Amino acid sequence: MSGHTDERTGETDPVDLLLESARDEAVESSFHVTGVMMQYYEVCERELWFESRNIEIDRENPNVVRGTHVDETAYDEQRRNLSIDGRIAPDLLDDGRVVEVKPSSTLVEPARLQLLYYLWYLDRVVGVEKEGVLAHPTERKRESVELTDETEQQVEDAIRGIYDVIRSETPPPATEKPFCESCAYYDFCWSC
Amino acid sequence: MNDNYHIFSDGRVERHNDTVRLVTEDDEKKYLPIENAEALYLHGQIDFNTRVISFLDDHGVAMHVFGWNDYYSGSIMPERGQTSGQTVVEQVRAYDDEAHRGNIAREIVAGSIHNMRANVTYYDNRDYDLGATLESLDRRRDEIKSVASVEEAMGVEASARRAYYAIFDQILPDGFVFGGRKYNPPNNKVNSLISFGNSLVYANIVSAIRATALDPTISYLHEPGERRYSLALDLADLFKPVLTDRVVFRLVNRGQLSDDDFDSEMNACLLTESGRETFSKEFEQTLDRTIDHPRLNRKVSYQYLLRVEAYKLKKHLLTGEAYESFERWW
Ligand code: SF4
Repeated sequence: MSGHTDERTGETDPVDLLLESARDEAVESSFHVTGVMMQYYEVCERELWFESRNIEIDRENPNVVRGTHVDETAYDEQRRNLSIDGRIAPDLLDDGRVVEVKPSSTLVEPARLQLLYYLWYLDRVVGVEKEGVLAHPTERKRESVELTDETEQQVEDAIRGIYDVIRSETPPPATEKPFCESCAYYDFCWSC
Repeated sequence: MNDNYHIFSDGRVERHNDTVRLVTEDDEKKYLPIENAEALYLHGQIDFNTRVISFLDDHGVAMHVFGWNDYYSGSIMPERGQTSGQTVVEQVRAYDDEAHRGNIAREIVAGSIHNMRANVTYYDNRDYDLGATLESLDRRRDEIKSVASVEEAMGVEASARRAYYAIFDQILPDGFVFGGRKYNPPNNKVNSLISFGNSLVYANIVSAIRATALDPTISYLHEPGERRYSLALDLADLFKPVLTDRVVFRLVNRGQLSDDDFDSEMNACLLTESGRETFSKEFEQTLDRTIDHPRLNRKVSYQYLLRVEAYKLKKHLLTGEAYESFERWW
């Protein structure tokens, strides 16, 4: 699938960069992708850039807790958190499936991408094939998520996209999104 | 939300269980609701110990100490939000780059002139003919666009402020003679009011800056190290007309200050405890006023505008996006 160089730039493909350092501790790379970065990439690339630079925002901002509440309380009894290489931390159900909880209807796609990334990482780095389930606690619905050619492509494109965003000297410009109002960076982006 | 508490009496501030209380000299105890506090302002002779300092630190509350002569004497700032090496690096980079520093300095002066002008316009529209001052401020505003050095920018700022202060004697009633800005120590009632007001603006900006992890000692218009927190001096210039000067005009024109509120001795004229109390009360009410923010799409308090200004500067430094200084838009 992906070659060793990026056709766009002739540099090492970020996907390979990530895999090399994930498979071999001896490879020094500052490029890591966490599940949360996948979410930010989907939600707002600017937010991802801010996060990647540890730009401090107002910690009193109540929006900072966005989404995390539902995630931490749902399915408490049945899932186990698995930390892998200290880089990704998927939650496993008793039946071995990887579960990701979607906090709200607006954040389905970010949660799906994060889940796909976990499945991809487990497959490529750890060498185990897993199925995923996207859970909707409030709606009592579950949706199964799998790696396919298409979803793999989606994950790898996201890794390259993340690489581009965080390597950029400047953040992508602010564009008004439905998420902005509940974003911790709102005042930072829009105070002008 | 972000309340300031001013303490005028002498006594001690101490931690008592999960609260902070003030014990006055005649053993009266008052509890300070610090959950919602931004800062405590100590105006009297106050004792405190390390226990109360760590408690305030845990709650992210600053303590600003106000002394006698120059009013502001120092701050005990909470640790929180204080560290961002990267922010400091960018602050220093911008300072070191002459062109970059100049841009920020000019932008601050342009904003200050605009805000002085807003006050002049206000009085020009009510019974005073201040056209000449407006013209002079407009000229300074044109001039600032093309100054080469930070020193020249300071010069333009100073002459704009002189032209602006020259109208004070027209606007203020008899008995409040100003005759130009004198501080350290202030020589008359108007100067002592301005000094006190400006030191409140300054302390509030110190708090606002700290909330953003900007380093308050690295500045652009003022020379770093000129005084403790020179970045607070930079940003204070923008807000003095909106906060200090309007409070001075309001209190004096409404006759809310009497001779008892001032203490004159030798060449100095300073506010007494009652004078400071009256001023602080009006000042806090002004900080609590809200205004529709066109970009944030909500009402924000004047006090929050200080925080917003620090955010804007930090954003500029970290992202390279343009910094446009605060200009009163209402
Ligand atoms: S406020 Fe909007 S544009 Fe800014 S980081 Fe948040 S989501 Fe992105």
